[in-house]
Amino acid sequence: MTTIGMETQVTAPPRRRLLQLDAPAIMVLPGLVFMVVAFAIPVLILVADSFRDASGLSLAGYRKVLGDPYYIGIIWNSLQLGLITTIGSLLIGYPAAFALSRAPARLQVLLFALIFLPLTVSIIVKTFGLAIMMRRDGILNWLLLNLGFIERPMRLVFTEFALYFGMINVFLPLMILPIYSVMRQLDPRLTDAAASLGAGPVTTFLRVTLPLTMPGVVAGISLVFSISVAAYVTPGLLIGDRFMTMSQVMAKAYLNIRDFNLGASMAVVMLVVAVTIVFTSTYFAEPASRRGRKG
Amino acid sequence: MNVVAREAAHARATPRSDRYLDVAAVTKRFGAATVLKDLDISVARSEFISLLGPSGCGKTTLLRLIAGLMKPDGGRIAIGGNDLTQVPAHKRNIGVVFQNYALFPHLSVEQNVAFGLEAQRTLKAEIGGRVQNALALVRMQAFAERRISALSGGQQQRVAVARALVVKPSLLLLDEPFSALDRKLRETMQIELRHLLRDLEITSIFVTHDQDEALVMSDRIAVMNEGRIEQLGTPDEVYSSPASLHVLEFVGQSTRIGGTASASGQGGDVGIETPIGQIRASMRRNSGPTGKVVVGIRPECIALGERPGADFNEITAELADIVFFGSKTALHFKPPAMEDRIQVEVARLPSGVAPGAALKLHWPIAETMVYPTP
Ligand SMILES: Nc1ncnc2c1ncn2[C@@H]1O[C@H](COP(=O)(O)OP(=O)(O)OP(=O)(O)O)[C@@H](O)[C@H]1O
Ligand SMILES: [Mg+2]
Repeated sequence: MTTIGMETQVTAPPRRRLLQLDAPAIMVLPGLVFMVVAFAIPVLILVADSFRDASGLSLAGYRKVLGDPYYIGIIWNSLQLGLITTIGSLLIGYPAAFALSRAPARLQVLLFALIFLPLTVSIIVKTFGLAIMMRRDGILNWLLLNLGFIERPMRLVFTEFALYFGMINVFLPLMILPIYSVMRQLDPRLTDAAASLGAGPVTTFLRVTLPLTMPGVVAGISLVFSISVAAYVTPGLLIGDRFMTMSQVMAKAYLNIRDFNLGASMAVVMLVVAVTIVFTSTYFAEPASRRGRKG
Repeated sequence: MNVVAREAAHARATPRSDRYLDVAAVTKRFGAATVLKDLDISVARSEFISLLGPSGCGKTTLLRLIAGLMKPDGGRIAIGGNDLTQVPAHKRNIGVVFQNYALFPHLSVEQNVAFGLEAQRTLKAEIGGRVQNALALVRMQAFAERRISALSGGQQQRVAVARALVVKPSLLLLDEPFSALDRKLRETMQIELRHLLRDLEITSIFVTHDQDEALVMSDRIAVMNEGRIEQLGTPDEVYSSPASLHVLEFVGQSTRIGGTASASGQGGDVGIETPIGQIRASMRRNSGPTGKVVVGIRPECIALGERPGADFNEITAELADIVFFGSKTALHFKPPAMEDRIQVEVARLPSGVAPGAALKLHWPIAETMVYPTP
């Protein structure tokens, strides 16, 4: 907006500027207004709340959240949850996106639907389904028993295995979609050119495919990390209080103990963590992503 | 262009018997469609061959098979006696210049050219010098640091050539490398590339559907149609003695007249009854087809005026159009009995000739080509 305004200023007298808003400026307006109302204002209230309690200005919330080993452990849990979910989704999602982009057109539509479909199912439904599947008499135990991997049913629900299994299941589509959309725009002749120059499949992947699909990877990582680090429903249902996360602390602070100062402090810490990780990953991938763009 | 033509003529005069690249009975199918059918082609060492043919006839497919970017459904591909049919692309050492260059957008000009050397683990100390040499060959040293997106089409084309040549390929394949360039630049690049490849003695296969480009650049031309090679010969052979009606139609201009051939007429000639009268063709040139045939004549073989002797065909036709080309003038005649026009080329338009005039035309029976109607 500022740049547009400045450019207009150069060419037109300032008085007529408001009437001369150009198309991009007008198109960004609804989104901007919405984001101010729905995001910026609540965040400001949250930040304000984090610095005051009933008695006025206070840093009690931050002292607790950043000083108490219990809460530091919870921050660490959330980070771990976000990181493992992101890495797991990336390791499974990248090859899947590659295969998807190279599949015959008709199969691609089908596979795409299969990846997209889970997104239309409520997370609660999906997670309950997983919980049922992982019960002692669930299908997963039945399978492992019959394949001879285990001798008696294992405890699966309320373990970290269940947690990450469920998290990756929920977030995988969000990793695949951005990578796939970049991957399918990758000119297959670039990999042909690499091969004709003597590069084997590994070199071609590392020096051509990966750098050129980096923008998709960064988008996927940012998306999955920032949402999974704040996940509430899935950890709650699949592992519960045994693995407390920042979201659960916030929910408890606001809903149970009504300590808004604590909840807001935790929320601000989470926001800072997520924003930092997203920007760092974008920064490190920036050279590749900038060059990877077409044209 | 003259220089190239003369040099090409010289190259043709030296006999080449070696089969450097040997493609034997190669077949390629996509689903139910057979795109290449039992195709054979041999290329001599340091020869420049053009693959010429209409869109969709399988030129790119043949190149991809030779490069190893695709596996054939049958047949054999060998270079210098080594069977490469089962060798993957990255172990074939065959350079490819792709239709839209396929330069790596995330690398600079220099890095693009160095890519092949690095992939083949060339000594670091050697890479810099070889990249500079390759860029010098295509006169792109000044652009070494540039990003690909900041280059013009012609410059990208040069980088693509440098990138393919720097690894010293045993064969260079070029898929319509000039199709994105304007005509002037195209003609310059044709000559430049031809000189470069001849100096380096690189065996090359060059795909184009521009017949002029093929005639100008090639030692030999392979004319393709529907997945087959219909004729493989020098530009002169392909132009003057087309092996089939398709080759006649595809390479150069020609007038084609449908008719019925009767068994040989006087003196070993064949007579063809056509809507514009009887046309005679020499049997020495044609294999003596009978029944429904098509007669073909090149425009520059037809002259205005009465025939000078018995060895010529003569007709009278009304002049419909005059098309001025600068160095030559094309005359189009439209006999009432014929659907197509008769095309004639003259160096100078005789004075007093105007559309509507009925003129006599003649051409040698030795230059009259006859093909069975397909
Ligand atoms: N991957 C593919 N799958 C299915 N059909 C294909 C494939 N590649 C090529 N074809 C078909 O094979 C035929 C030959 O294609 P090819 O690209 O070799 O033609 P071409 O001679 O290079 O044409 P152009 O001059 O237009 O580049 C075409 O009919 C094309 O549709
Ligand atoms: Mg092609």
